[in-house]
Amino acid sequence: MEKRTQAIFFLTCCLVMAAGVIYADLKKGYYSPAELGSVQQTAPIELMPDSNYQVSAYPVGALELAVGDGRQDVQIYCNTCHSPRYITMQPPLPAATWEAEVNKMNKAFGAGIPEENTKKIILYLQAHYSTENRKQ
Amino acid sequence: MDGPDRNAYEPIAPRGHESAIHPAFGVFVPMRDPGSLIKTRLTPLIDLANSSEVGACPMNATERFLLRRDLLKILGKASGGIAVSRWLGPEVALAQEPTRGKAIEPFTGPGANPHWNSVGPYVAEPQKAPLLLLTDRPVQLETPRHYFRTAFTPNEAFYVRWHLEGIPNAVDLKSWKLQIEGNVNKPLALSLSELMQKFKPVSLAAANQCSGNSRSRLQPRVPGAQWGNGAMGNAMWTGVRLRELLDKAGAKSGSLQVQFQGLETGQGPEGLGSNLFLKSLDLGNPVLDECIVAYLMNGEPLPILNGFPVRLVVPGYFATYWTKCLTWIRVLNTPDENFWMKTAYRVPDTPRGNTTPEDVKAGTLRTVPIERFPVRSFVISPDGSSKIPAGMNVALRGIAFSGFGRVNRVEISDDDGKTWMPAKLGEDHGAYSFRTWELSWIAKSPGRYSMAVRATDEKNNTQPDEPVWNPGGYLWNRIERQEIVVGNAN
Repeated sequence: MEKRTQAIFFLTCCLVMAAGVIYADLKKGYYSPAELGSVQQTAPIELMPDSNYQVSAYPVGALELAVGDGRQDVQIYCNTCHSPRYITMQPPLPAATWEAEVNKMNKAFGAGIPEENTKKIILYLQAHYSTENRKQ
Repeated sequence: MDGPDRNAYEPIAPRGHESAIHPAFGVFVPMRDPGSLIKTRLTPLIDLANSSEVGACPMNATERFLLRRDLLKILGKASGGIAVSRWLGPEVALAQEPTRGKAIEPFTGPGANPHWNSVGPYVAEPQKAPLLLLTDRPVQLETPRHYFRTAFTPNEAFYVRWHLEGIPNAVDLKSWKLQIEGNVNKPLALSLSELMQKFKPVSLAAANQCSGNSRSRLQPRVPGAQWGNGAMGNAMWTGVRLRELLDKAGAKSGSLQVQFQGLETGQGPEGLGSNLFLKSLDLGNPVLDECIVAYLMNGEPLPILNGFPVRLVVPGYFATYWTKCLTWIRVLNTPDENFWMKTAYRVPDTPRGNTTPEDVKAGTLRTVPIERFPVRSFVISPDGSSKIPAGMNVALRGIAFSGFGRVNRVEISDDDGKTWMPAKLGEDHGAYSFRTWELSWIAKSPGRYSMAVRATDEKNNTQPDEPVWNPGGYLWNRIERQEIVVGNAN
């Protein structure tokens, strides 16, 4: 009986030690696949000793708008003055706030979006970027 | 003036994305292939798994990866892992599952942004180090936290905030002239060379902070650029006194305000805020005597995104008045009622600019143009990304500043404000500059500590511990906190 207990104890120790060795191996040399270099280095632009001081074009990102009815209206009208990141950057906003924002573009900023498209844009933003709907 | 070459934007084309010129506007509209996101994410893993460079192990990388994770889970559940590893020797001690660094969530809310900075990706813009992207057109970039370890913010890391998409890509100094016009006796048009040669250069260290800095802290959240704390910077500005230029042109009697206009233009109709960004200050405002038309920033020409060739410096005032690519200084004999003065950048006329959504709805709120920034301070290091071993004497470091004058006291609390320890202040670079502070601190025992920091300026303004709310998301200056995790040292 005592021998059996000893054997079980010994075996348990061996198992634990083996597990421990594998476990110890984990804290070193752990690499994980990842997308490196997502911010590329830009090549310097050629400078001339004249009076013109210029920089290269400002980078704009890919369109990240949610797919849905009204997306094209946002692309056409909102994109005139600003990129869609102005939308995706916002926190989830109440439906009334989105309506007020679009109305501000028309009234204060003279965006001149036709009434029908204005409605579609408001509904689109409320459907995808409001407190009730935006989860990710 | 000849129109500078404005408004050139180039799409960043990530793999799997195609771009196209938008037919209606000639604006670049990148198109997304719906499957591309999945493809992009999976490709590296599959590549690695099939690669012969994974090692001698006959399993592919994915399997190895899974096996390790499973073992860890089993060990974790048995919860004897760490106890056993103790007597296996120091090599084994403290092994933990190495977690893959995940990308930050692309937005926060409806709660407050819990991060020090905003949550956008890094982007490399012309003349800039990689900064945190808020928006790409017009450009808004935030300075990452670690750049605030020093009193002066490097030009290439200085935050960027434009209102209209027509940002100059080039300025031709042969045709560019700074014009002082309007209700003046003698209108002036000065080249950069004349500004540098004909006027005595003056230098001043001054912090520049966006009115909406820390907007993502507000509850409930408000629309606008969702800045973390990095819409600020400090620089040594060198240039010409605005007062000298105004005196030379001579404001006629009956003049009320002086208006500032830069090269920035928008697509909106003339006369609206979407067409021009205009800001004005009262001619009787004593801040005009402190203003500089700066052509040097930290002893270097300004990056275009920060306002090359000259920028207005309004010490102590929020950055909305610091017109970039300043080209027109216009003396007015009627009050400026353009959108950016009459509607935008206004704060409730209440203590701290504080109000409630209910009062805004009631529509009885009196507002005034935003002006000076209130006193603020930050913990910059430690930033919470590493644990600190108990008993270690670590340096806490940060910055403080105020638009109302010199910061002369910074205090730290590690017991949620019950007791405050004075920090050692760094060099005094002037009343409007960032001032660094430092405090050596020993964590007695392992645990989580919340370090609070508060500053007091020479006018005896101290940071309060109550939040601020107003619909513009301005004037946030609540006491900041940094959680520090202290681990066992043995």
